[in-house]
Amino acid sequence: MSTSRICSNCSESSFTRDDVTGNLMCCSCGLLQEFDQFDAQIGGINGPQGTFVHVGTTGTGTFYTYKQRKLFTAQNSIEELTYTLGLTSKNVEIKTMISAITEGEFGQGKWFQILIGACAYVVMRKDDRPLPMAEVASAVGCDLYELGKMIMRVVDFLGLKRPDFPEFDIVHSFERTLKNSQCFAAVESSTLDRMRKQGIFLIQCAVKWFLSTGRRPIPLVVAILVLVAELNKVDVLMEDLAKEVHAVVSTCRTRYRELLEKLVEVAQVLPWGKDITTKNVIKNAPIVIQYMEKKSMLKPCEKRKNLDQPGFDLADVVSDCLRQDDAYKYGTVGETSQKDSQYFLLDNNSERPDIQNVDRLQISPECLSMMYDKFLNEVRCVKSSETSEKAQEWESLRLDLEDCREWWSGKSELSKKLLLKQLLEKDVGLDTMPPSFVAGQLKCKTRRERIKAAKARIKRIMHPLDAGLDDTSNHNSLDETCHGRKRKKRRGTVAGDVDWEDLIIETLILHKVKEKEIEKGYYNTLLDLHVFNSGII
Amino acid sequence: MAEQGLEGSQPVDLQKHPSGIVPTLQNIVSTVNLDCKLDLKTIALQARNAEYNPKRFAAVIMRIREPKTTALIFASGKMVCTGAKSEAQSKLAARKYARIIQKLGFPAKFKDFKIQNIVGSCDVKFPIRLEGLAYSHGAFSSYEPELFPGLIYRMKQPKIVLLIFVSGKIVLTGAKVRDETYTAFENIYPVLTEFRKNQQ
Repeated sequence: MSTSRICSNCSESSFTRDDVTGNLMCCSCGLLQEFDQFDAQIGGINGPQGTFVHVGTTGTGTFYTYKQRKLFTAQNSIEELTYTLGLTSKNVEIKTMISAITEGEFGQGKWFQILIGACAYVVMRKDDRPLPMAEVASAVGCDLYELGKMIMRVVDFLGLKRPDFPEFDIVHSFERTLKNSQCFAAVESSTLDRMRKQGIFLIQCAVKWFLSTGRRPIPLVVAILVLVAELNKVDVLMEDLAKEVHAVVSTCRTRYRELLEKLVEVAQVLPWGKDITTKNVIKNAPIVIQYMEKKSMLKPCEKRKNLDQPGFDLADVVSDCLRQDDAYKYGTVGETSQKDSQYFLLDNNSERPDIQNVDRLQISPECLSMMYDKFLNEVRCVKSSETSEKAQEWESLRLDLEDCREWWSGKSELSKKLLLKQLLEKDVGLDTMPPSFVAGQLKCKTRRERIKAAKARIKRIMHPLDAGLDDTSNHNSLDETCHGRKRKKRRGTVAGDVDWEDLIIETLILHKVKEKEIEKGYYNTLLDLHVFNSGII
Repeated sequence: MAEQGLEGSQPVDLQKHPSGIVPTLQNIVSTVNLDCKLDLKTIALQARNAEYNPKRFAAVIMRIREPKTTALIFASGKMVCTGAKSEAQSKLAARKYARIIQKLGFPAKFKDFKIQNIVGSCDVKFPIRLEGLAYSHGAFSSYEPELFPGLIYRMKQPKIVLLIFVSGKIVLTGAKVRDETYTAFENIYPVLTEFRKNQQ
C-alpha cells in the first residue's frame, strides 16, 4: 500500500497497515509510523446518531460564567439554610430581600452565609414571629455578634422601623420553644397547653418585674420553661434545654434564681410568707401563682378593697397543705379538715363544710396562719404514727381532694399575650425595680457609708482631742452600720478594715471633692481631675 | 479652659443643667499634627514609655502618668491622644507627648490640635423602661437585648449617641465640645422621666 507520506526512517513510500492495531508500518524498514488513524467514534457524517454528552455541565470545568455559577450556588445556599431553619415557606421572601440588598448580584463566601442568616432573621422578625439570633448564628456557623452586625446593616439598609419591624417577642419565643423542643415531645397536649398558659403568664410577670429588660431573652425563656415543667411534674433538665436553644446554662440558672426570688417576694403577703425561701418556693409556687393570677384579674376599683387582704378559699389552703408535705401519708386528713373547720366562721354551724361549697368562704390571714401551724404539728404526729390502713384510707380520699388541688384557672388576661402598656397596668401583687438598679443603689449606699467612715477617720486624726468626746458615739454607730458589709474579709485590705477604696475616698475627701461626686464612684476620673492635675492652670 | 474640673467643687448651675445632673466626662480623644516625619523604631527604642509592634499596629503607643493618658503616634507625624478627663488635660498631655518627641531629636511642632470625641456618663437615679422608650422613639433608638443590654439613642440635634441602660445609667458619646454632651443630656432627661419606673 502506498500513500503520499514517506517513511521518516528510510524515506520509502510503501506502508502496510496492521490488521489488529490499524497502525501503519514501513514495508522496507518496518518502522511503526506516527498515529494517523484518528476516527471520531461517535457518529460522523454517516455514523449512527448518538447522544450528545458535553463535559462541564456538572463538576469542574463548567462552561457557565462566573456570575451564573455564583447565582446558582447562592440560591442553593439560601435553600439549604432556610431548610435548616425550617423556613422553607419564607424562601421566596428571603431571596427577594437578598436580591434587593445585593442588587441581584447575590454573593459567595462566608459573608453571604451571614447575610442569608440576617435576612432570614429580619423576615421572621417583620412577621412578628422572631427566631432567636443564637439559633440563626448556630445554623450559619458564625459568631452571634457577627450576625448581629449584619442584621443591623440589613435593618439600616432597608430602613426598617417600628411598627414594621417589631421588637423581639419573648412570648412568641417561649411558645415556639415549648412547641419545638425535644424535651417536651413526649408531654401530653393538655399538659402542654396548661404549661403554655402558665408560662405566658409568668413570662409577662417577669417582663413586668424587669427580669427581661436589657437581658437576652432566651435564658429567661429557658428558666420559665424549667419552672413551669417543674410545676407540672414534667422532667426536664435545664442543661438539655439550654443546649437545645443555644443559651448559656449559667445565665439560665441566674434567671431561674431571680425568678424564684421574685416569687418569694410575692409570697411575703401570705400568712406563712416568712417561712418561704427560694428553696421551698417551688412547693408554694402554685398558691403564689394563684394569688398572682387572682390579683391580675381584679379590676382597678376592686383592688383598693382587696389589696391588703387577699382572700383565700379553702381549696387553696387544703391544696397547699397537701402539696407542702407530699411525701407524708395523710392518714388523718379527714380529721384535720374537721378540726380546721372550727376556724371558719359559718353562719350555719350544723355540718362540716363540704369541700365543693367552701370555695366562697373568706378567711382571714390570722386564721390561715393558725391553721397552717396546727396542720404542721399534726402532720408531724401523723408521720410518727402512720399505718398502712390509714394510708389506704387516704388513697380513697385523695381522689376527691384531687379536684381541690387545681390551682391554675388560666382565666387571667396575662395568660394571653398582652401589649406592654396593658401588661404594665396589671397588678400581680409585686412591683419591683430592675436588679441592676437595685445593685446600683446598694453600691451607692455602701459608698456613702465608706465616705462617712473615712470622714470620721480623718476627723479623729486631725482633732485627736475632740475625737474622744463627740466622735466615739458617731464612730460606733458607723461601725455597726458597716459591720454587716465588712464581716467578710475584703480582698486587698490594707490595715484593719481599711482597703484601697477607703484610701481613695480619703484622698478625695482631703482634696475637697464633693461627697455627691464621690458617691457616683467614678474614682479614676475624680483622681485625675482633683488629685493628679498638676501642671493645669 | 479654666472651667475644667469645676463640676466637682461648685454647685450645679440650674440654668445650664435644669435636670440638676451634670454628666461626668470620662474620656477625651484629641488629635494633633506634629508636622514632621517620624521614625517610629527610633522612638520605640529611645523612649521608655513606648511600645511598638508594627505587625500588630502601625503606630507607637506611648503613655504618660500625668495626665494619665495614652497616645498613638504615627510615622506621618499625626498623633491621637486618649484617656484625658478634660479638654485642658488632653491638650496638656498632647503637648507633653510633642515635647518628648522633640527631645528625641525630631523637629516636632504642635499643629491643628482638635478635640475629636468626648465621652460622658451619668446616673439619673431611676430605672427606665427601655421597651417603652424604644417603642415610642423608634426613629432614633435601637434596642436589641439579644445583642446589647442598652438602648442606643441616636440624637439628631446635637448629633450625639446615647447609651441608655435600664439601671438609669447613661453614656453620651460623639461630642466635640462638652456643651453638646450637656445639651444632649438635658434633651433626653424629660424623655427618660416619661419612661421612668416609679419607686414603690
